[in-house]
Amino acid sequence: MNSREKILEKIKTNKPSLLELPKIDKDIFVDVNENQLSKFKKMIEAVGGNLLTLNSIDEIIPKLIELFPLAKNNYSHIIEASGFSTIDISEIKKPQELDDLDVLVLEGEIGIAENGAVWISEVNLIIRVLPIITTHLVLVLKESQIVATQHHAFEKIESSDFDYGIFISGPSKTADIEQSLVIGAQGALSLTILLI
Amino acid sequence: MSHSKAAEIFNKNENKVNWHDKALWFVRHKRDNAVHQVLEWEKLRTLGSGIKAHMLSNLDNYLIQFEENAQKNGIQVHWAADGDEHNRIVHQILKDGNAKKVVKSKSMLTEECHLNPFLEAHDIEIIDTDLGEYIVQLAKEIPSHIVLPAIHKSKEEVDELFQEHLGTKPCGGDPKYLTNAARKHLRKKFIEADAAITGVNFAIAETGGFVVCTNEGNADMGAHLAPIHIACMGVEKLIPKQEHLGVYLRLLARSATGQPITTYSSHFKRKREGTQMHIVIVDNGRSEQLSRPDFRASLHCIRCGACMNTCPIYRRSGGHSYNATIPGPIGSILSPGIDLKKHSSLPFASTLCGSCSDVCPVKIDIHTQLYKWRQIITKETPQPKLKKASMKIMGDVFANPKKFERIGKIARWSLRNLPKSVINSKPNIWGRSRDLPKGEKESFDDWYIKKNKDEQ
Repeated sequence: MNSREKILEKIKTNKPSLLELPKIDKDIFVDVNENQLSKFKKMIEAVGGNLLTLNSIDEIIPKLIELFPLAKNNYSHIIEASGFSTIDISEIKKPQELDDLDVLVLEGEIGIAENGAVWISEVNLIIRVLPIITTHLVLVLKESQIVATQHHAFEKIESSDFDYGIFISGPSKTADIEQSLVIGAQGALSLTILLI
Repeated sequence: MSHSKAAEIFNKNENKVNWHDKALWFVRHKRDNAVHQVLEWEKLRTLGSGIKAHMLSNLDNYLIQFEENAQKNGIQVHWAADGDEHNRIVHQILKDGNAKKVVKSKSMLTEECHLNPFLEAHDIEIIDTDLGEYIVQLAKEIPSHIVLPAIHKSKEEVDELFQEHLGTKPCGGDPKYLTNAARKHLRKKFIEADAAITGVNFAIAETGGFVVCTNEGNADMGAHLAPIHIACMGVEKLIPKQEHLGVYLRLLARSATGQPITTYSSHFKRKREGTQMHIVIVDNGRSEQLSRPDFRASLHCIRCGACMNTCPIYRRSGGHSYNATIPGPIGSILSPGIDLKKHSSLPFASTLCGSCSDVCPVKIDIHTQLYKWRQIITKETPQPKLKKASMKIMGDVFANPKKFERIGKIARWSLRNLPKSVINSKPNIWGRSRDLPKGEKESFDDWYIKKNKDEQ
């Protein structure tokens, strides 16, 4: 018997009799009187991100120039803000070449009010390492894409089949040296949400 | 060395112990703040516990389902009965891929299997990329906490360590400077890595995918750059469906550090083009633990560390005093199942106050299990003579009211009249750092009888 069979056999023998799988009633976790948009804004701040509200998609580029006047290597995957790109992503042969990327602009698919996390799946990621390896990350999100809890986010994701996807909540951080919070560990040093 | 002996060593530096105690208690407070903001937290915990209990009751089928789906997605699945086999599998994958430089994100499982020394002995460079783990790796130590691996180190110690290994300038322990120095150094390691090893926080039977959570982004940096990704998981990491992630992602970070969610929650389902993705499923004693009804629920654990942060013993004895991969209350119920003799002092490293069970996001009855392990250990492993004798005497006294009264009287008289040097003499361990209360003239019985008489 190989290890696979051995392990499965042992588990089969040792497991208790079948217990019921509980059902998740996601609505019990939501306070209907709470404004989810203002909660989302509050949470973005709490997790170390910046949130700016724009009136239209045309304001993205001027805002980016204002925020990152010195940035040299930029890439925007938002078509309406493609003028901000200084690099041609199709020319990237190895993800390692992205090491000197200054600013990355991606479209967020879902925002979660309870924890400030934004979902991005591979369709909008192009290269998986992008939002981690970039120095500054900008996510463009529509107000209508904000949901209350993590349960609601998974309900939306349920129907999509993604190869890879990630929830990002704030910039990378660590508190491994004497519990002092330092923003900017191995991933992006800052996160800006542009809410439209 | 027993836990109490090792704890004694840790307690030699009183300032450090006090700092350790307070720092962890502060994390416990952050956890409370985060938890109180969640509507129906207790129902969420009940779900967390219920889903894991169900999973364990059908684990073999879920593992088969997971394997089938993962393979459909192009992931290679390996099975390891124990730590040795796990290490050999990982090494073989690296060898076949001609990988010499490996970056690894946090995985308590690979610690448990002692993967690093195994690979190093085979001439493979393995770098721990979580900052806390990187610090303890440089110091040639092991993590003292599962979420805060270097919590036992002062910033001055990290400063010195980085000066020696990274060539940093003395900075008085400036966390920002030190973190940035590690970032630069690790960035190079990520770029050069031939393979990345990550842990698995949750594996989903329904989709064959798995989720890895970090705050630093180190798991993603590794896995998205290197051409080989190996994810190592214990069999109990499985959950039935993707929707169940909602429950655990809400529970995990709040319980661990008081954050609403970790910065990155990465969902891996298929590999990048032209790369390899492997999953190593490890048993290493877990199926044995599954056979023990009293201790089965310890397999619910999602490795948040909340039980450590709240434990009055852990906070004052430090993670290394447990001499086990997983320290603290949860480690004290897991470790005896692996090696009863080696870890026989751990279930006694508790006041049985129950705080661990109260904060556990998946409702493991930790303090009850600690008590149950004590019953087994007392029967199956030799106990110190003094402890055995005193337990016997105490049992006899407590079973005999007349004797109890007589001894109580003598004890109270002694506490009133004998000098401190006698009361706190060597056999009285309590007296080493504390004084006993002054003996009252009246016993509780006397007082109670008198009170009843007065009231009549």
